[in-house]
Amino acid sequence: MESLTASLERVFGYTTFRAGQQAALTALEDQKDTLAVLPTGAGKTLIYQLYGYRHPGCVLVVSPLLALMNDQVDRMRVAGFRQVAAVTSLTSFTERQEILAQLDQYRFLFLSPEMLAQPAVLSRIQQISLSLLVVDEAHCIVQWGPDFRPEYLLLGAIRERLGRPLALLLTATADHTTRIEIAKQMRVTPTVVAEPIDRPNVFLDVETVANETEKRERLLGLVSQLQTPGVVYFSSKQQATDTASWLQEQTGLAVAAYHAGLSSEDRFKIQQQFMQDDLAVICATSAFGMGIDKNDIRFVIHYHLPADLGSYVQEMGRAGRDGQTSVAILLYAPGDERLPQALNETNRPDDVTIRRFYATPQHFSLEEPGIRLLTFYRDHGISEPAVHALFERRERERRAALDRMVAYVREPTCLRQNWLTAFDQTAPDHQAKTCCAPGGQDLDITALGLRRTPAEAVTAPNSDWQTQLAGLLTAAPAVPEG
Amino acid sequence: MEADDLLQLLSSRQARRLRVIENLLRGRRTVSTLFWGQRYRLLYLLDLGKALTRGGLDGPAQALVDRQLATWEAEEQPQLRLTPAGVAAQHAAQPFVPQTAVLWPQLDINAARKRLLLGVQVVSEYQHQTKRYYPLATDLATRQLVRRWFYQSDRQQLGTALQATLTRSLARLPERVATVTVAGFTGYQQPGLTNQQLAVRWQTTAWQVYLMHIEAVVTIAQAAQVATDPLSGLLGPLWTVPVTKSAQATLAAVQAGGTLDQIARQRRIKPSTVREHLLEAAIMLPEAAFPYERLLPATTQRTLLALLPAAIDDWTYTDLAPAVQAKIDFFTFRLLAIWQDKRGDSHGKSNG
Ligand SMILES: [Zn+2]
Repeated sequence: MESLTASLERVFGYTTFRAGQQAALTALEDQKDTLAVLPTGAGKTLIYQLYGYRHPGCVLVVSPLLALMNDQVDRMRVAGFRQVAAVTSLTSFTERQEILAQLDQYRFLFLSPEMLAQPAVLSRIQQISLSLLVVDEAHCIVQWGPDFRPEYLLLGAIRERLGRPLALLLTATADHTTRIEIAKQMRVTPTVVAEPIDRPNVFLDVETVANETEKRERLLGLVSQLQTPGVVYFSSKQQATDTASWLQEQTGLAVAAYHAGLSSEDRFKIQQQFMQDDLAVICATSAFGMGIDKNDIRFVIHYHLPADLGSYVQEMGRAGRDGQTSVAILLYAPGDERLPQALNETNRPDDVTIRRFYATPQHFSLEEPGIRLLTFYRDHGISEPAVHALFERRERERRAALDRMVAYVREPTCLRQNWLTAFDQTAPDHQAKTCCAPGGQDLDITALGLRRTPAEAVTAPNSDWQTQLAGLLTAAPAVPEG
Repeated sequence: MEADDLLQLLSSRQARRLRVIENLLRGRRTVSTLFWGQRYRLLYLLDLGKALTRGGLDGPAQALVDRQLATWEAEEQPQLRLTPAGVAAQHAAQPFVPQTAVLWPQLDINAARKRLLLGVQVVSEYQHQTKRYYPLATDLATRQLVRRWFYQSDRQQLGTALQATLTRSLARLPERVATVTVAGFTGYQQPGLTNQQLAVRWQTTAWQVYLMHIEAVVTIAQAAQVATDPLSGLLGPLWTVPVTKSAQATLAAVQAGGTLDQIARQRRIKPSTVREHLLEAAIMLPEAAFPYERLLPATTQRTLLALLPAAIDDWTYTDLAPAVQAKIDFFTFRLLAIWQDKRGDSHGKSNG
């Protein structure tokens, strides 16, 4: 068989692997189950793509993020992988049937956990030969969040029923406890491949403001001064939308909102506009970013407090993939932790509901996510006391995770050290100019070289529709740039 | 849909049921929704708001009432009527009024739009020899159809031919509609603008932009009915009879001479379903395509018209005397209302 590097060059045209890719592939080539803890942007997908290319059979990828999966399928098609399909709850019934009927033709199959848990789907998959089972976002097995899928708890059992195929568990964030828990749930003893997660070119900044009004003003100030492109994260769709139009009016920059409530057409357009720099700033919810490989994002601002440090790191990690100086800013007003706390609580059925549900499950509507979760547990024979215990544990975990996030916000000395220590890694020595500015210390945009030089007002060439249409549909002779 | 968009769907001369408008948008084709959709001249809204949730118009409706542009009228279902201020606001908004609306129920608009957008993108990228690009995210069926269409076309000519037919169709539309449509296309180095972005640029609402897009899609699909049009393979098959297959079969059986009860037995459907099929067909088809005379004997017509008020909107079956109700069923009553509506229309009288 050809060497890994030769395959890399043949399939992707690269001559060297990025950190972590080779170690993970080597472990897999030795038929060792592997847990790869690699930072966002490390090229995790390349690992299973290359493995799938080198081995016969189908690579089955289970991922909890529906939007991510469809993006991934598109990206693989663009990259020339043709036999790729995704089956999720968003896939129409006809399309699903068609894919399942021709399952053996696919080399890469993306499934949402709830699809995989369906007996009909599972028995179809038992009939094909799997080269690799990939669990993406493997920390979702043990973390309770908006992306939590109870079906992830079945993955260990499902893998057994598939004849224990070689497993690759991928995650960007897993501290020591999470790693052990993932291995336990999946019933594997994996080889762990972990790479340094530090992003030395991303300057970290926490800014404490007195209240919402001040926060808005500060956001405006930052967006007006910072080099673009940039992303501002919100935890509500409405606020992302409203702030996008407000910022556009106030700054004159091209700003758009991106969230899961947009049509797929609009999401596509906004993403592509951002990719080709038609947009300077995106106001987003956590739905944004999965499919984005834009390297030159100069700033990531968080307007709301994320629910845990892992999510924060994942989102701010989208800054500065090109290695150039960038900044990750978290805006915090006292009491901001109440919002993620409230979101946790609405996601979770209370004790009375649990008791009443177990007494008379038929009285409850499956429309509610909390009830769906309870139904899932009950259907899988989990008793009422066990469910109580489970929820209490999750609640404790969530509270601990939020406390951890708040500890980052309140860190007085070095944010980087605070972050890396939480992930069992050692931080370099703090250098005020290049490392971080915890709350109370000023961010010097100019010193970082991130101040935007006022660009000349660009007036878009407003051609008429006939010219625009001609430009789209007939290749014009090349016009010299400039 | 915003309050300003709902404003355009209301009238001062006719109180309109909010739920009917909502059901039209969501594509809930009950006979009652279709009938009132016809009375309101809003059948073109069918299926245009698939993502709208139940009660999704309640907020915009209340906003209009709060701004005193409309008032609620208590009926068994809440109805809205424009106030004089509402009428003034409606005209001041200079709304886009689609000219092809009557054709909209005859085209699978959602599919046509998806195919057109992806078709334009595929040709555009091909013309510029882009090998790797992100195709618009769309369903498998659309992707397969567009691919097949593309490979079956004469690819050397396709760019020029497509440009020519689109230019011809768009030139028939107002400048603003053509501009908005082309700016919404995705292709080489053009991600395309979203409806919201176009709305900001043109100082209108995303819904109005959407209506303009549909006007363009329908106009382009009209041209595609000619076999030589480069889009005929893609859009031509999306023109349909705006009546379900099952209702078409029932109508054919009536035209072949069966009685309603015979047809119910033959087709193994309930007699009430036969009647629903016929009402649906009567509403959705032109007057000449439906056998009104056979189903409504002249004496029945005369009896009913003598008893009913002049304005069709005021007709209420349960207001008829029990003796009359015993002789004339609701089906007959409703069919006459539909026919009167269509005849009124064809005689050029307005019932609004
Ligand atoms: Zn530091």
